[in-house]
Amino acid sequence: MTVGELSPVWPVAATLGGTILGLAGWVRPRALLAWAVALSLANLIGFVVLAGRSAVPTGLLFLVLAPSVACLSLLGQPAHPDNRAPWLLTLLFLGLGEGILVGRDGPGAGGGTILLGTILSLLGVLIYWYRAPSAASPWRGVGACAVGVVAVLVEWLTTPPTATVARLIASAVLFPLIPLHGGFVASLAGLPGNLPAFLAFLLPALGLHGLLVVLPELSDGMARALEVLGIIGTLYGAVKALLQPRMRMLLAYAGLSFGSILWWYAAAVRTLPAAAVVYVGAVGLAISGLLVAWYAIRARYGDTDLRAIRGLARPMPRFAVLFVLLALAALGLPPFGVYAGFMGLLLAPSLPLSGALLAILLGWLAASWYVLDLTQHLIFGEPRSDLRYRDLRPGEFTALVACVLLLLALGLLPPRLWALGQPT
Amino acid sequence: MWFVGLVPLLPVLAALVVMVGSRTSQMPRARVAVWPLATACLLAIGLLVAVAWRGPITVRFYEAGAPANPALPLGFYVDRLGAVMLVLVTGIGTLIYLYSVRYMQQESGYARFLATLLLAIAVLLCMVSSANLMMLFVFWQLLTWLLYLLAHRHDHRPTLLAAFRTFTVLRLADTAFLAGLVLAYALYGTLEFEELFVRAAAQPVVFSPFPGVAIQGPTLVALLIFIGAMGKSAQFPMHLWLPGSLYAPTPVHALLHAGIINAGGFLLNRLAPLYGLSPVTLHVVFLVGMLTAMLGAAMMLTQNDIKKTLGFSTIGQMGYMIMECGLGAFALAVFHLIAHGLFKATVFLNCGAVIHQARQEPVVPRLDHPRDQAELARLTWITGFLSTLVLPLGILLAAHGVLAIPLFESQGTLVLLFFAWATSFQAILTLARLRAVASWKVSVAMLITLLLVVWTYLFAAERFTAFLYPDPGEVHRYFQAAALPGPLFDALLAGAILLTVLGWAYLYAQAHGRTVRLPLWVVRTRVRLYVLFMNRLYVDTLYDRCGSWLLRMARAIDTRSWGGLA
Repeated sequence: MTVGELSPVWPVAATLGGTILGLAGWVRPRALLAWAVALSLANLIGFVVLAGRSAVPTGLLFLVLAPSVACLSLLGQPAHPDNRAPWLLTLLFLGLGEGILVGRDGPGAGGGTILLGTILSLLGVLIYWYRAPSAASPWRGVGACAVGVVAVLVEWLTTPPTATVARLIASAVLFPLIPLHGGFVASLAGLPGNLPAFLAFLLPALGLHGLLVVLPELSDGMARALEVLGIIGTLYGAVKALLQPRMRMLLAYAGLSFGSILWWYAAAVRTLPAAAVVYVGAVGLAISGLLVAWYAIRARYGDTDLRAIRGLARPMPRFAVLFVLLALAALGLPPFGVYAGFMGLLLAPSLPLSGALLAILLGWLAASWYVLDLTQHLIFGEPRSDLRYRDLRPGEFTALVACVLLLLALGLLPPRLWALGQPT
Repeated sequence: MWFVGLVPLLPVLAALVVMVGSRTSQMPRARVAVWPLATACLLAIGLLVAVAWRGPITVRFYEAGAPANPALPLGFYVDRLGAVMLVLVTGIGTLIYLYSVRYMQQESGYARFLATLLLAIAVLLCMVSSANLMMLFVFWQLLTWLLYLLAHRHDHRPTLLAAFRTFTVLRLADTAFLAGLVLAYALYGTLEFEELFVRAAAQPVVFSPFPGVAIQGPTLVALLIFIGAMGKSAQFPMHLWLPGSLYAPTPVHALLHAGIINAGGFLLNRLAPLYGLSPVTLHVVFLVGMLTAMLGAAMMLTQNDIKKTLGFSTIGQMGYMIMECGLGAFALAVFHLIAHGLFKATVFLNCGAVIHQARQEPVVPRLDHPRDQAELARLTWITGFLSTLVLPLGILLAAHGVLAIPLFESQGTLVLLFFAWATSFQAILTLARLRAVASWKVSVAMLITLLLVVWTYLFAAERFTAFLYPDPGEVHRYFQAAALPGPLFDALLAGAILLTVLGWAYLYAQAHGRTVRLPLWVVRTRVRLYVLFMNRLYVDTLYDRCGSWLLRMARAIDTRSWGGLA
């Protein structure tokens, strides 16, 4: 049986069943966490076994990375009762996401549409449920998700070109594109536990999956509009990231900036090389890794302002080394996957050489500013004497090491391994 | 030549030896790690000999033209330039490492520091032996990060700002390099050195980035890559990071000033055939180099901090080196960077010993200086003029004549002659002003020294040029490409000579106790210029203001125009 023949029902049913079974361990958080990790690992093994027989639009990379990211985001969590709901929700999102990713026809077809609508609805409900009273962005997040759900319905009920536009809108909510980025930002900034770390990878992966389906049907006018939005999003995301005093918001806007680069590229070139999957996967992974690292800080000192903690290099050396490696990956230095993906995009033969490329490179350069600023504040300088320091626990350490290794693998392995399938 | 890859791998092995193990055994491990590094140096020498005899060595771990991973096509290309750089980096690297093993012994993070130093050496080696432009860029970027790590003390809060500035300035340069690389690939479809040069020469591509703007392909590619070189080689206005690295340990300064900063000169040499296709870029390179040399020297003279003085001295020297490239004298630039690298490594590694000695034997400056002469006789003027200005020029011209260097065939050689002359007269004048001995003895001794130095230097430079670029036609082509329009060149040279002679007259009169009456506006301008250069042209303040302005603008965008988007 190939992955292409695999019905979306199977991964959804398997993880949903696992999630329901996990409820049995609700009163024992440690057992529940172990169960969630084991289920995501089993999921990963399942897709690794099926590797080489792929015929899905975005290739096997996302199907392998999704359970991996779920697993490492879970590993970085302390076994606390407050985290139980996010663990189960992670499994639920994993199943729904895999259901969409194994489908050949993208989000618009049958089961895929239902799953996509479910994800967007669930996301909207969760953003509303976990909203902070003072924050304005949750409402924009809920709004963006609602737009996404409506777009999915419209796409289901209509035919191209209306359906194409609707698909594009649903993809833009997941794989952030201005002005529909609110859902992505609110998910990363507001949801509890490990969910943001997992969604930082899953949402762009699902968005790219949809974009791949829509891409051949794009009209010239739509492509031009997407190019402009991509450039604005790249610069806007970078500017917003520069100003954020909170880690999660900073990473959310970094995700918008990096994501918009691919939107511009897709609209300008009208085709996506295998490097696009590497790029999206690596950006998601780097942001997930940094969020997992941030949980280690949150678990110790609470959800604090970035400037409140400094100088971790000396008292927490293992954390410092891994955080710096993840930051290097996030700002696009070799030999990590973000760099390899970005270079793969830029070295494509059909790259348009225009002034827009300058804006894209500026967005790329800005990452060196805000990611380094973040790293310098957290890692370097003199440590505070009024804090107690404790380096990474084994689970946190394993999660971050796995993340760095995955980013290295994405950077070093040939991108053709992740060749894109042909959407039908 | 299977051992090409071993040269950069051995320092990595040495880094592993230093890092892996218990704290108690770190000193013996640090000593053991010298051996792989010294072996790498020996291998590099072997490579130099092999390359000189048999020609360039290419080892590729990818399929040429279609690498499996286009972002990381690993391979080695060692020609004479690469081999010379390998010997230089491993040689100086071994000495600096050997010095660091004992010098840094008492410091916390000893093993980490040594390992980072070794990794920086390995990255430099990979960079100079890269098989293609992409691999060179990969290691170029890694060097940016290692520079950020090595050149600053990150537990020292005040230096964090300088560290941040270092990284952002270097990344700005890296981004320009990236743009040049992407453009080169888009225009010529390859990043393999030889193929790129052939295609760039064969396909005259005109690139139009914006409507109504047209620019030659090689010119734009070379200009963008040159901005990358400006960052690493601390060219004005991207020089800020070098004097900002005040708190780096002495071995890092030695490596920085003797090895890493030469990256820009190496890059221009590696891409010399591409630069040879673009006279406009060569003129820009010359201008930036000249500006950096002049400003670097001026700022060096006005600093009141020894490390900043040395930093600006290096910036001035890098300006000379880049200027030589801009004149088409690529081989001379490499010769210069080797000479400067050896000199600066010696100076920095000797710093500790000098400070130690000064603490042991404090010497109070003498107060019994002889009084300055009140009068300056005509004979003194004439002898001074002859000994410090005319004779050095005569020696230089004679040396060129005897060594059969075609002086008037290229502007580059003429400009280098001018700088050699200006440097010689300045050296003689400086020693004469020290008044350690009678000035005529100083002059004679200096002239004899100059004679020996000039002959040896010119002979070595000529031989080195022939070694690095065996085809004289190629050297001539670069000189021709870099030639400025005749009248402009003559005017520049005449102006520079006039300024030099006037400067000499002023300094010579002052050195002999003569008061030189200058118009009030000149005096005021001089004071203003002094303050301006002492404050390093306020470029660091300007950078900070630019950063603050950018952040203010970002906040304005955030709160007003785009606030509704969240």
